[in-house]
Amino acid sequence: MSSSGADDIGQCPEVRRWLTGSGYDERPAERAGVLDSLRGFCEFAGQTPGELIAACLRSTSEGMAISGKGRRSMQAAIDEYVASRGLAGRDAIVVGNHVRGFLIHNGVFIQGPVSIS
Amino acid sequence: MEFKEVIGTRRSIRWFKPWKPVEREKIQVILEAANRSSRAVNADYPRALVVHRSELSDEVFASLRNPTTTVDLDLAPTYIFWFYDSEYLQDARDNLKELVRNKVLTASHGWSEAYVDDVMWAQVFVPMQRNNAAGLTFQAAVETGIAIGNALNAAVDEGLGTCLHAMSGVDKIREAFKVPDTWVPVWLQLVGYPLEEREAGGQRPRRPLAKSFFEGDCTRPFEADPAVTERLRAARLLQEPGPLPYRDTEVRMMSRMFGLPE
Repeated sequence: MSSSGADDIGQCPEVRRWLTGSGYDERPAERAGVLDSLRGFCEFAGQTPGELIAACLRSTSEGMAISGKGRRSMQAAIDEYVASRGLAGRDAIVVGNHVRGFLIHNGVFIQGPVSIS
Repeated sequence: MEFKEVIGTRRSIRWFKPWKPVEREKIQVILEAANRSSRAVNADYPRALVVHRSELSDEVFASLRNPTTTVDLDLAPTYIFWFYDSEYLQDARDNLKELVRNKVLTASHGWSEAYVDDVMWAQVFVPMQRNNAAGLTFQAAVETGIAIGNALNAAVDEGLGTCLHAMSGVDKIREAFKVPDTWVPVWLQLVGYPLEEREAGGQRPRRPLAKSFFEGDCTRPFEADPAVTERLRAARLLQEPGPLPYRDTEVRMMSRMFGLPE
């Protein structure tokens, strides 16, 4: 995965779907931040955005379905990623949920922790 | 709140104020409403277990989570676990005779205590318990569902938000809360004060009556009378459909409050 900047991945169709569906495209200041979270995770995981989605899915005779195992692994990888960045508390939750937001807008049903305190 | 407005205002609420506990008296109202529900043969089908999130161990709380309820469980302060008791017919004979003695089931309609003993019990309930597991399950699930419907509407009437979810971690729930083996899980009802506006984005889409309801025979859809529809709008049984203009912003603001995906 290239690390030349957030816009590397900003043009991927899966990322476009996320940015359009979430409304980040209309809020450029926020867009850069969430793209940075995703780019960092792609680098951490050594996977492209499309590969992240594929890792959460499995093929069945009726088409693609959520892979429970893949989703659990993805949750663990996201937790490891935010920890590797030295994030904790609300910051860790927010960055991890940026990544989850990307997956969600691409059809992966996944929920993350809630920042209440 | 008036009855029709309660019906019209009920939504599945998914955003709660996690910091605001639900008063015990409001839980009692919810349970009383459930206890007043219609119930075939006057049997006691539903069982409910009220649990507050703040009292749960981390282990039990983790076991309740599933991919579709994590956020809701984090936000709702109170959970009501609904079950039915598969032994509901055990007391039904006495409960039914009580209705005869109370002049609810009367001779005018053919009822007597002897009929309950000799027919309802001996020829219906006993064989049903022996041979008709599917029938028992169907009846218990339906009757418990009716009680839960009352509970949902009572919560709305008390100014609360509420939503039903599938129950996960049933084995852990049984162990942690000493749930009897004869209780069968039905729904998990989350209860709390809604964070979102009471309208929760607007009334949920429903198809016209004529799609699902019929009159005379099943080739003749029940056509709604526009004057009645207008009356129901005035009474707020029918409300403005979603999404309301502010919904996107409302959801975004709530998501940010909790650091959730947008």
